[in-house]
Amino acid sequence: MKNFVEIFLGILTAMGGFVEVGELVFSVNAGAKFGYHLLWVSLIGTVGIIAYCEMAGRVAAVTEQPVFNLIRERAGLDVGLVTLVAANAVNLLTCTAEIGGIAIVWQLLSGWPYRWLIVLAFLFLLLSVWFLSFQWIERVFGLLGLLLVVYLFAAVYLRPDWRQFAAGFVPRVPHLETTKDYYVFAYFAVALMSSIMLPYETYFYASGAIEDGWKPSDITLNRVICIVGFTLGSLLSVALVVVGAQVFLPRHIEPQLPGAAALGPALMFGRLGLILALLGMFFAFAGAAIETAMSGAYNLAQFFGWPWGKFRPARDAARFTLTWAITFALSALIIVTGVDPVSVVEYSIVFSVVILPFTYFPVLVVAGDRGVMGPFANGWLANGLGWFYLVLITIAALLAVPLLIITHGGQG
Amino acid sequence: MQDYLDIVRQVLDHEVVDSNNVPCGMVDDVEVEGEPGGELRVTALLVGAGAWANRLPRLFGAAAKWVFGGRRTRVPWDEVSVITERIKLRSRATELGLGIADRKASRLIRGLPGA
Repeated sequence: MKNFVEIFLGILTAMGGFVEVGELVFSVNAGAKFGYHLLWVSLIGTVGIIAYCEMAGRVAAVTEQPVFNLIRERAGLDVGLVTLVAANAVNLLTCTAEIGGIAIVWQLLSGWPYRWLIVLAFLFLLLSVWFLSFQWIERVFGLLGLLLVVYLFAAVYLRPDWRQFAAGFVPRVPHLETTKDYYVFAYFAVALMSSIMLPYETYFYASGAIEDGWKPSDITLNRVICIVGFTLGSLLSVALVVVGAQVFLPRHIEPQLPGAAALGPALMFGRLGLILALLGMFFAFAGAAIETAMSGAYNLAQFFGWPWGKFRPARDAARFTLTWAITFALSALIIVTGVDPVSVVEYSIVFSVVILPFTYFPVLVVAGDRGVMGPFANGWLANGLGWFYLVLITIAALLAVPLLIITHGGQG
Repeated sequence: MQDYLDIVRQVLDHEVVDSNNVPCGMVDDVEVEGEPGGELRVTALLVGAGAWANRLPRLFGAAAKWVFGGRRTRVPWDEVSVITERIKLRSRATELGLGIADRKASRLIRGLPGA
């Protein structure tokens, strides 16, 4: 019974914690620009994040080693340090974007001044992580992020053309008018995949496995949570693409602000739909802000061998605690200067894909090492998927920055 | 059972934990002793920014020491009790002069409610 509850809660929190501000913006925009033609990218990204989180969780359960421990050990000091700096810069950017997203949502709900709401969001996040245990952080933000399920209902009620919808899952490039349009399509494909496979998710997931005290006996739990939880979570991302395609594409609107996505449920279910969508977005963004700030702290602590984890009292993991608190403070400072949160989202997504190969390679090597993992080492499927995705994200990483420049951030 | 130890692969850049399993740094470098042409012997683990910064290109090393400080703690090889994915020591971190920065940082937050 305990196992069943654990699996059920794990699946729901993985689903509710799947969407964050970057994924929301890019999914809705992908639908608004290209209809269902990018759905196959959501599918590819989802299988990728399942494959790598499953491996990282399995390694953590067997060796009690989180991702940056492995990076330091396998990639060495120099490459590891470059990855650490880049990963934490991206974590900071993502956290900044999430805090901006929270303030936007709160402003839509309350009408209060945006800058004051940033300060309130900072205090809310700081106090939440300080006072809540790891398990409660996962549950509160993961489960309440499930309010985003309203997008699933909205997507169905919007009556998409199911034939076109299903055809969107077959990888192909649509016929477009100009060469520039093809570049924009490629940019959105790379950004959408990156937004689903954000590196912090792997850092947080593996560290969470150790926070939860997973042992080799929890490998099935790990597998079920990854496969079922992330698949259900990706349905939310697919629903956002449908909302973009059904609400914005016919009206030739490019929804720039995260709040615009709430129009879908609002059109279908009125005031209640709008409020549920905004509350779901708030909990999803807040959960992601916490995960990115904590990932920054996990990464530094694991790379330099500091005591870490919410399972320790804050005073016994002081540098870890100060790091996540400082990450929140820096993120709030950046966004309060008036930087456009959507631009921050864009940079965080594009630079995320650049560091993905450096994050995934050590995980793949250790997960496949029989000397370390024994009978729990990768089988042919995990190895095959691991190498396929490593090649794919390396190509995406090489294309990401040139595409960002050529398309002026997807503007064409 | 393996009858040799690959210091670079199995010791360097691995996590160090004290006798209570509390993390207290990484093996940032190793100290070896010996003569040219003769046998080399590992005599100590070196832990701290002062050790790893020396392994970086000079400019980056200097920047790292400026940011993290140049402290380097020498842990005699005899202190190593178990080598797995992490290196376990026989004594507590405080007895070996490890984890000082964390204890200093701890003073900043110790008085707060819930710490």
